[in-house]
Amino acid sequence: MRVKPWKAFLFFLPFLIVFLLFWALPFITGVVGSMYNYRLGTNRNDFVGLQNYETILFSESRHHDNFFLGLGNTLIFVGISVIPLVIICLLLALLLDRVKDPWKKVFRTLFFMSYAVSVTAVSAIFIWMLNGPGSYINVTLSRLGIISAESPIGWLSEQPFAWLSILGATIWWTVGFNMMLFVNALNEIDTQLYEASSIDGASYPKQFRYIIMPSIIHTFWFVLLNTTIASFNLYGQSYLITRGGPGQSTSSLSLQIYRTIMENKNLSVGMAMAILMGFVVMLFCMAQYLLTQRKKDYMEVRK
Amino acid sequence: MRKKRVTQAALIGICLLISYFFLLPFLFMFFTSFKDMAESIGSSRLVPSVWSFSNYIDLLNDLTNVQIVRWLMNTLLTTILGVMLVVVVDTLAAYSLARLNLPGTGIILVAIVWIMSIPGIVTVFPAFYIAKNLNLVDSFIPLIFPYGANVLGVYMIHNFLRNFPKELEEAAFVDGANLMTILVKVVVPVIRPVLITLAFITFLNIYNDFLWPSLVISTNEMKTVTVGISSLVLGSNFTNPGMMMAATLVAVVPTLVLFVFLNRYIVQGVTNTGIK
Repeated sequence: MRVKPWKAFLFFLPFLIVFLLFWALPFITGVVGSMYNYRLGTNRNDFVGLQNYETILFSESRHHDNFFLGLGNTLIFVGISVIPLVIICLLLALLLDRVKDPWKKVFRTLFFMSYAVSVTAVSAIFIWMLNGPGSYINVTLSRLGIISAESPIGWLSEQPFAWLSILGATIWWTVGFNMMLFVNALNEIDTQLYEASSIDGASYPKQFRYIIMPSIIHTFWFVLLNTTIASFNLYGQSYLITRGGPGQSTSSLSLQIYRTIMENKNLSVGMAMAILMGFVVMLFCMAQYLLTQRKKDYMEVRK
Repeated sequence: MRKKRVTQAALIGICLLISYFFLLPFLFMFFTSFKDMAESIGSSRLVPSVWSFSNYIDLLNDLTNVQIVRWLMNTLLTTILGVMLVVVVDTLAAYSLARLNLPGTGIILVAIVWIMSIPGIVTVFPAFYIAKNLNLVDSFIPLIFPYGANVLGVYMIHNFLRNFPKELEEAAFVDGANLMTILVKVVVPVIRPVLITLAFITFLNIYNDFLWPSLVISTNEMKTVTVGISSLVLGSNFTNPGMMMAATLVAVVPTLVLFVFLNRYIVQGVTNTGIK
């Protein structure tokens, strides 16, 4: 279709306006603002160049400590959460793949349902299930004889249980989405491959290794990347379930940025922290992208 | 044959066991919301010994600061308007990119991919600072319009359209139909599945968003349900779990109902439109 450029632009314009006002303008404000000394509630605006970044990264200051405490905690969560999250959703998908309809549809919806709930609802529920010595989980565990009734677990007030609580809530909340991606990928595998291989006497582990895994490898890398980014952005769960505690041991980087800006009013410092966090996330993406490309080449060659 | 049946039964058994873990938090919320205050604090039984509707009655009568009905109305209003904005604006933009040879299309598409990888935390606080300086805090404007800057939707619709033949549109164009008519009459019916997916994902995102509305809303009347529930969770003087679970239940029912009917669209959209 031959359309005059200005007509095409007219269609693009509404999006462009909204995008410039609500994404580009804040983005630029953030980049520029990180080079000033804004504080919420005052009128200070002196240009300080890269001083905020220097303070956060190199100087001995509370901003430095807050940033690296948050970064460390976030990396701990990435470390303990990514592998269980990916493995659990893969196992659930493999299980569902072998169940026949209509059961398959029923369980698929059941496992995926918690995805529709907000992080505040997840937190409200998990707090009351876990909080206090007489909580539902503590009493149930002691009835089953797993823990003794005299020494209930402080799920929200002791480590490593606070991390376990956040991890449990995150698994319950988010595992369904990635499971569905795997379910779809598994659906696309030709069933004749399974039949042919089982006639040849291939066991399930062998089928997994040589049929399933090569077919879902792209989904696998996508899920791994997605999960890593999501875990890195941990915010609501640690803010609401443990309030960053006990001490500050579950205070994530996002939460530290929130506190720097909203509680300590250091707007510019917080903006700089957010930009640094953006860089770290993009580094993760790039590293994993490069890794995936290399693996892809390797897979192509092997075929 | 018999062996297969036994395997099926075993697999379903395992699924049922796992379902219990996925359902337990929902059951806990449901049952606790029907416990009166004394029982909801003191008892660790899942099912209430006496079923009490007092939490729901108190909620509806605004006896506490929990204005759940008002919050729900705020949320539904902002979510529906936000979804409409995203769908309209993104459809127009994607149409322009995929079909109208907009100059610079290649650069725009690359930019979109880069922008999608920048986490929201980079822009959310500056956006709050702008809203505050323009005195827009505690109004509906920041609760609706910022969601329109949705590059994911443009990307999804564009990818879907790109893989779809355009003969029908060309024919309509030759027949002298104007571009808007072609878009509404020919293109929109074709991209309907993507639009449903996009609308549904956006609905969940706006309805469940937490950080952004918690920054721009401070008064009780303007809260969304997500922010409202978070203020219950964080409020130190709020000690009635039954009431909190009742409020949470009211908050999650709309998305849950929608979800049970529409959940297949989420993943269809993700697999068909090349997000992965």
